[in-house]
Amino acid sequence: MDVIANQLFAGLSMASILLMIALGLAIIYGAMGVINLAHGEFVMLGAYATWALQTYAGIGILPALPLVFISVAAVGWIVEKVVVQNLYHRPLDTILATWGIGIILQQAVRLGVGAESRFVKGPALLSGNTEIGPLIMSNYRLFVIVFSMAVLAATWVLMTRTEFGMKLRAVIQNRAISECYGIEAKRVYSITFAYGAGLAGIAGALITPLFSTIPTMGTGLVVDAFLVVIVGGLGSLIGSAAASVLIGEATAIFSIVINDTLGRIAVLAGIILLIRFRPRGLFPTETRR
Amino acid sequence: MEQLQVTDLQVEFGGLRAVDGLSFSVQEGEILCLLGPNGAGKSTTLDLICGKTQPTDGSIQLNGVEISQMLEFRRARLGIGRKFQVPSVYKNLTVDENLSVARSRRPGMWNALTRLSLTDAREAASILDRVNLGAKRHEMAGNLSHGETQWLEIAMLIAQDSKLILMDEPTAGMTIQETERTAEIFRSLSDNHTLIVVEHDMSFVRTVADRIIVMNRGAMLAEGTIEEIEANEDVKTAYLGH
Amino acid sequence: MSSKFQYDLVALVIFALVVAFGVPAVMNYDGFELNTFARYLALAIVSMALSLSWGTAGLLNLGQAATFGMGSYAMAMHLKLRASDGLPDFMGWNNVETLPWLWVPFESLTFTLLAGLLVPAFIGGLIAIFMFRARIAGVFVAIITLAFLVAFQLLFINQQGLTGGQNGLTGLAQMSLFGWTVDPYSMGFYNLVAGCLVVALAFGVYLTHSKFGLILRAIREDADRARFFGYNVASYQTLVFCISAALAGWAGMLYTLVLEFASPTYMSVSFSLAIVIWCAVGGRESVIAAAFGAIVVNMLEGRLSDVFVEGWHLILGVIFVLVVMFMPRGIYGLLSDSVRKIRRIRRTRDQRGVETFPNT
Repeated sequence: MDVIANQLFAGLSMASILLMIALGLAIIYGAMGVINLAHGEFVMLGAYATWALQTYAGIGILPALPLVFISVAAVGWIVEKVVVQNLYHRPLDTILATWGIGIILQQAVRLGVGAESRFVKGPALLSGNTEIGPLIMSNYRLFVIVFSMAVLAATWVLMTRTEFGMKLRAVIQNRAISECYGIEAKRVYSITFAYGAGLAGIAGALITPLFSTIPTMGTGLVVDAFLVVIVGGLGSLIGSAAASVLIGEATAIFSIVINDTLGRIAVLAGIILLIRFRPRGLFPTETRR
Repeated sequence: MEQLQVTDLQVEFGGLRAVDGLSFSVQEGEILCLLGPNGAGKSTTLDLICGKTQPTDGSIQLNGVEISQMLEFRRARLGIGRKFQVPSVYKNLTVDENLSVARSRRPGMWNALTRLSLTDAREAASILDRVNLGAKRHEMAGNLSHGETQWLEIAMLIAQDSKLILMDEPTAGMTIQETERTAEIFRSLSDNHTLIVVEHDMSFVRTVADRIIVMNRGAMLAEGTIEEIEANEDVKTAYLGH
Repeated sequence: MSSKFQYDLVALVIFALVVAFGVPAVMNYDGFELNTFARYLALAIVSMALSLSWGTAGLLNLGQAATFGMGSYAMAMHLKLRASDGLPDFMGWNNVETLPWLWVPFESLTFTLLAGLLVPAFIGGLIAIFMFRARIAGVFVAIITLAFLVAFQLLFINQQGLTGGQNGLTGLAQMSLFGWTVDPYSMGFYNLVAGCLVVALAFGVYLTHSKFGLILRAIREDADRARFFGYNVASYQTLVFCISAALAGWAGMLYTLVLEFASPTYMSVSFSLAIVIWCAVGGRESVIAAAFGAIVVNMLEGRLSDVFVEGWHLILGVIFVLVVMFMPRGIYGLLSDSVRKIRRIRRTRDQRGVETFPNT
């Protein structure tokens, strides 16, 4: 019983991380139809930025978060301006270009920092565990769960309650008409892409105490995050949240029932089947096409 | 003989009945024109016949064979051709190549594997002269003017040689001379083809139509020859309001 | 015969002559150099295979490395069996006591050669039917094939007793073809690989200029329109996927012969990306250009990676992004655009000069 409870908690913890990565991916995909294969590398950049801040400036994870957000968002903004913006009408080429950017970022970090695994200390404030009966929960993981929910809420507010969100939704619905009403679609896209990248950066920062920080760390995560986006339905925030819990828990349960490799294969098979049978996700947003 | 028999056809898009209990039949060699105000369901009717849209209810029979649940390409092989409202030709292929694609008497893969890409176009070359595109055979279809694109799609349908051809606003954007030429071609086609034409240009309809069906709100409002339709009170109401 | 077809035939002949006579002469008939170049030629086949599905039909297959790997392992299994008495060594290390049934038929070379072509074609066909019957298109084809590749490689490495896992298959015998023992450092072997490439290219050139190729291009542009002309789009797409997979398997078999081992890295995502890069650089619309792209990029890699040991992948990434952005049709696109420009200039000049010939 307690094994299951603890595994469920591990799944929830995984889900919270997936959610933060997937949110950025979902916003970028939902808003611009861009499948950003460099997203995993944004996560990796966030992790390395955190490591650098801690090692060279002595800044802990929590105070580093805003800095990491801004710096990775800046990278995202540059990538959007220089590459993605020129490819909106060529979706297949966007996949390829973002893939190439992912390789460039990965190799640049490998050359600049080295391929070996880097270690980042978790915040002292959140060390230790909270125990409820047999259930042992690390405080840090609890914090990540709460934080991810806060990020979800903030994103929801941004998308539905602010002027920027309204403009973004207008551009998604019909770019040409929005531009006629004076909305600068290009700018909206740049900001959205930067925001999504920034979220990935934060996710990268938060996972540093939990994962080993290596140049290839993003590649595996982006696959799961992509699955979350597909399952959740394109551009649906609530769908993404539900899907990340579903997938986080499924992965956690798979890894105790069968082994890790087969668990991953099952996840991949899940992606394939979903795209085939429910290309608009399990929780599609109702729009007339 | 009845070539096409549509019975109680119905389709719903999210609660909206675009076609609602439509029944009609078309004789072989006939030119039937579909008229009606915008949103009456004319294009949707063509979509349902060619398979672009699946009906919610009702039946469509081509020469006695039920086709309403068939995939598009099977219907095409049974002899249904379609011209779209927005001219859809392959812009990145040459005029010749477009014609070759359209010439699909043997659409199977074996035939496609054992022929060069333009063999079929050469067989159908005279069609291009008929629509005045003979000089543009090697031009990319994307470089044609709007009128020429319309002609090309008509040429493609002639090359396809379907028994039943569905035309959605074939003369849109054409000059008067071009429209007259189209009417001529349609008349000559009707020797061994059946045509269903959606068209707004009344003078064109007057020249080509054997019979007219007026649709309103997804159903048939009136049916008959041009004179009967022009005398019909319901039709006047539908077009002019009250 | 269209003029494009004539250009392609001329290009094919020139390509064949250069590869068959020019390259060995430049290499001074040195065994080691010839082996290196034979490797590029084998990779050129998988690149041209991708150009058939991606360039002609618009189906970006990011899982091409999987079918390449299948061919490569089919050959390696045969050569491994020939090298070992009964049970291959790695099976013993993994506590496999009897030869698995999957391995048994690979004793026969004929079976191996067939399997190296047909198994990839079959698996590729299954995935294709699965996708194309549901009218999956565009980016989703890329994602599904990529997910398949990752899953396939994981499964492959996981089955260590059957596949040698992470270590791959090493210590292979040399193939013997009709009594000829194939030495990968010989001129004869080079000719074999070059011959295979030229045959594959000839087949590809024919295919792209057949009506089949034309219909694929039509489908790439507007699949629905093709359906209304009576073409069964899914089956066209499936067949081109099968053909492309079979050619990739063929390339994989040759690749094993060149390198004398098979490794699961042949099925990695980065290898699949590399194939896409070669094809994009050369030009995905033409099989010859795609093959040329593979050779050029690999030659560059061979020369430059000595200089920039660490930085090569970074350079490759930058090249790739630049090609995607500014040269989406690759070297071929540059060439065909300039040919078109020259023709247009010449045509306007001709029309001005000789007004009496209206129809040319």
